[in-house]
Amino acid sequence: MKNKLNKLLISIIIIYLIIAFNSSHVALDLSNLAIVVAMAIDTSDTNNLSVTFQFTNASSVSENGSSEQSPSIVNTVEASSISSAINLMNSYIGKELSLSHCKLIVFSEEFAKQGISEEIYTLMNDNQIRPSTNLVISKCSAKYYIENSKPMLDSLITKYYEVYNNASLYTGYTTDATIGNFFNNLNCGTCEPYGILGGVNVEQNNTDTSINSEKDANSQANNSSISGSLRSENSGLAVFKDATLVGELTAIENLSFLCTKNDIEGFLVSVPNPENDTEYIDVNLVPSKDSKIKVDIINGSPYIKVDFSFTGRIYSMTEDFDFLDNTFLENISKSCNSYLKTTFTNYYYKTSKELNSDINGFGKFVLKHFSTITDFNDYNWNDNYKNSFFDVNVDTNVKSGFLLM
Amino acid sequence: MPDSKISTKEAIMLVITVIVSHTIVTLPTSLLKNTKSAVLLNIIFISIMALLIAYLIYILMRKFQGQDIIDISEYLGGKWCKNIIGTVFIVYFITSSGILLRNFCEGLKIIYFPNTNIVFIMLAFIVTICITNTFKFSANCKTISIILPFVILSIILLFIGNLQHFTFERIFPLLGEGFFNTFILGLGNLTAFGGISCLYIIPPLLKNPEKMKKIALTSIGISAVYLIFCVSTILFMFAFFQNIDEPLPLYTAASYIEFGTFFQRLDAIFLLVWMLEICCYLCIASQFSTILLKKIANLKHSRPLFFIFPLLIFSVALIPKNYAISRFIGDTVYNYVIIFVVFILSLLLLFLANIKKKKEGGNFNEKQVEQTTN
Repeated sequence: MKNKLNKLLISIIIIYLIIAFNSSHVALDLSNLAIVVAMAIDTSDTNNLSVTFQFTNASSVSENGSSEQSPSIVNTVEASSISSAINLMNSYIGKELSLSHCKLIVFSEEFAKQGISEEIYTLMNDNQIRPSTNLVISKCSAKYYIENSKPMLDSLITKYYEVYNNASLYTGYTTDATIGNFFNNLNCGTCEPYGILGGVNVEQNNTDTSINSEKDANSQANNSSISGSLRSENSGLAVFKDATLVGELTAIENLSFLCTKNDIEGFLVSVPNPENDTEYIDVNLVPSKDSKIKVDIINGSPYIKVDFSFTGRIYSMTEDFDFLDNTFLENISKSCNSYLKTTFTNYYYKTSKELNSDINGFGKFVLKHFSTITDFNDYNWNDNYKNSFFDVNVDTNVKSGFLLM
Repeated sequence: MPDSKISTKEAIMLVITVIVSHTIVTLPTSLLKNTKSAVLLNIIFISIMALLIAYLIYILMRKFQGQDIIDISEYLGGKWCKNIIGTVFIVYFITSSGILLRNFCEGLKIIYFPNTNIVFIMLAFIVTICITNTFKFSANCKTISIILPFVILSIILLFIGNLQHFTFERIFPLLGEGFFNTFILGLGNLTAFGGISCLYIIPPLLKNPEKMKKIALTSIGISAVYLIFCVSTILFMFAFFQNIDEPLPLYTAASYIEFGTFFQRLDAIFLLVWMLEICCYLCIASQFSTILLKKIANLKHSRPLFFIFPLLIFSVALIPKNYAISRFIGDTVYNYVIIFVVFILSLLLLFLANIKKKKEGGNFNEKQVEQTTN
C-alpha cells in the first residue's frame, strides 16, 4: 500500500513538473529561437531608432561543416525603443529573438553623441544580455559596420566575435570594452564610460607621402592604412561623459589608456633613434610592474602622479646597431622614456582638458582623501577632473635585441 | 521524527545555513545600501556585536542546559507565556521563510522560467520541503552539512573568479555616510545575523548541549567571514553610488565569471547550489515550526504537521501582490521583526528567567521534574 502511494506521489510530481515548466522549456527551445549574435543601433529619420540584428543560422552550420563560412543574416527594423524593435522583429521572423549569445552591440557615432543612457539601461535590464558583450561605437553607421563584419580566418561569426578583441592585449590599439563595464562606469561616480572605436575600412586617398611612424600610431578606425577582405576594423577608443560620446582617441592614445589600466601584456612602439633623430627604432615593451597611481588634491585641484615601468627588447636591426653596448641600450631606454612620457602626458591632458572625462578611473584613487561619501560628492570629482595636472614618470629598461646582437 | 538529536558540527551548519540563505537573495545589497563604502567596517562591527550577543545568549541559557526558549518561557510565565512565545517564533519562521521563498522565486522566474507561473516555481520548493519533512531532523541536518560547504565554496569561487573586476579602492571613503550611519544606524545590519534565532531553539535537539558555547561562537564567526566575502564581492564589483537594485545581486556577480573561452556561463551552477541552500533553509524553518507547535500543543506525534507548515509558508509567499511588496517586507519589515523577536523579546525573556532563577535560587530542573510528576 505504501509503495503504491509512493508511486502515485512520484507520478503526480512528474506530471506537475511537466505541466509547470513545459512553457518555459518550449520558449527556450532552440527551434523556437532566433540566435542574435550582434546588434546595431542607429539613428532613424522616421522613428526614434533603427535596430539591426545579425543572426546566425545554426542549422546551416552543422550541415555545411566547419570548413565553410556559416552565413549570417542581417535584418533591420525602425522602432521607438529597443524592446519595441525586438518585438517587431519577433513578429517578422516568427521566432523569439534570443540575445543570450549576442557578442556585440554597436552604436553609431551619431547616435552615441545624443546619449545612450536609456539604451544601456534597457539592455542591462534584459537578463539575456551578458555583461561581457562587447560595445562598439562605429564611426560609420552601425548597420554598415555589422554588414561588413565578416570573419576572415574563422568559419563561424560567433567564433570571430569571441576572439574579436584579443589583439588588444599585445597591440594596445583597441580595447576590450564591454557593456557590463560601461554600465558600471556610468554609475561609478569616480570614472566615466568608454567603448571600442570601430569603423569600416575605406580606400584612403592619402596625399601625405612622408615616412613617419607617428602615422601608424595615430591611426583610428575608418582612417587606417589597412586594405583587405575584412572591412570592419577597430582602432582607438570612444570616450563618454556620462552616457554621451564626447570624443575619440587614436591608437596610441588607446595604448596609453591600457597602460594606465594595466590591461596590456606588451606592445610595440617606434621611438626616435638617439643617434639619428630622423630614424625610428621599433621596441617591444612589456610592463615590468603595474602602473603606480597617486592622486592628491592641491589647492582644490587634483595632482595626479603616474609611474610606469617597462622592460624592452629591440625589434629593429641594422648592421650599425650593437646591442652589447650598454651606452647604446641606455640611450634607447632614455629615448623610450622621453617618447612615452610625452605620449602619456598628452593623452592625460586630452582626457582632462579637452574631453573632461575620467575614463582612466583616477577618481577611485582620490576616494581615500575623503572620510565620508558626502564630502566626496561635495567635491564633485567628475567635474573637477578638468582641473587636474599630471606628473608622469616612465622608467624603461631596454635589455637587448632578440636573436641578433 | 523531527526530535532526533544532532551533533555539534551539524548544529553549527544549521545556524550558518539560516544566515547564508538570506545573503543569496537581497541581503548583500541591503547591507550595502545602509552603509555604502563603510559596509566592511560595519560588518566587522556587527559581527563583534553578534558574537557578544551569541555569548550572552549562551551565558543566559547556561543555567537552563538542554532547554529551549519555550521551556524557559514556561518556567518564567507558565503556559500562557509559553504559548505566546511559541506562536511568535512560529509566525517568525513561517513569514521569514515565506518571504524569502517569494523573493528568491521572483529572481528565478526572471532569469530561467519566464513563462512559468511563479506559483508553480514556489510549489516545487514546497513539494521538496513536504518530502524532506518526512525524514528525521538529524537526517536533514546531515544533508545540510553536505550542501552548505558547496554554498560557501560557491561564494569563495565567486570572489576569486571576479578578482579581475574588483576595484579595491571602493572601500573608501572609510566611513561611508559618516560615523553615525556606520556605527549607530548601522547597528540595524545586525539583522543579517537573524540566524541567532536558532540558538534559542536547538538546545534540546543537541547530542551535547554543553557545547552550546562552541556552537554559538563558531557559527557566528564563520557566518561573519562568509558575509565579508559575500559583501566584498558586491562592493568591489559594483558602484555603490548607483541606486539600482537587482533581484539576485550575487547571481549578477556570477554572470561576470569567465575562465577563458571554455568556462563561461557558470551562473547556472551557482544558481543550482543556491536553490539547494534555499531548500535547506525552508526545511529548517518548517521543522522548527513543527517542533515548536508540538511543544506548545503538547502533541504526541508530529506526522500530521509535516504538510501544514510547508503549506503555510506557501500561503505567506503568495500574499505579496508584486515583487516590490515582497521586497519591502523582506528588506524592511523583516528587519524590524528580527530585532523585536531575536534581539529584544527573546533576550528580555532570558534576562527575566535568569532573575527569577536567581531569586528562587532553586534548581529549575528539579522543579520541572516535580511539575511533570504532578
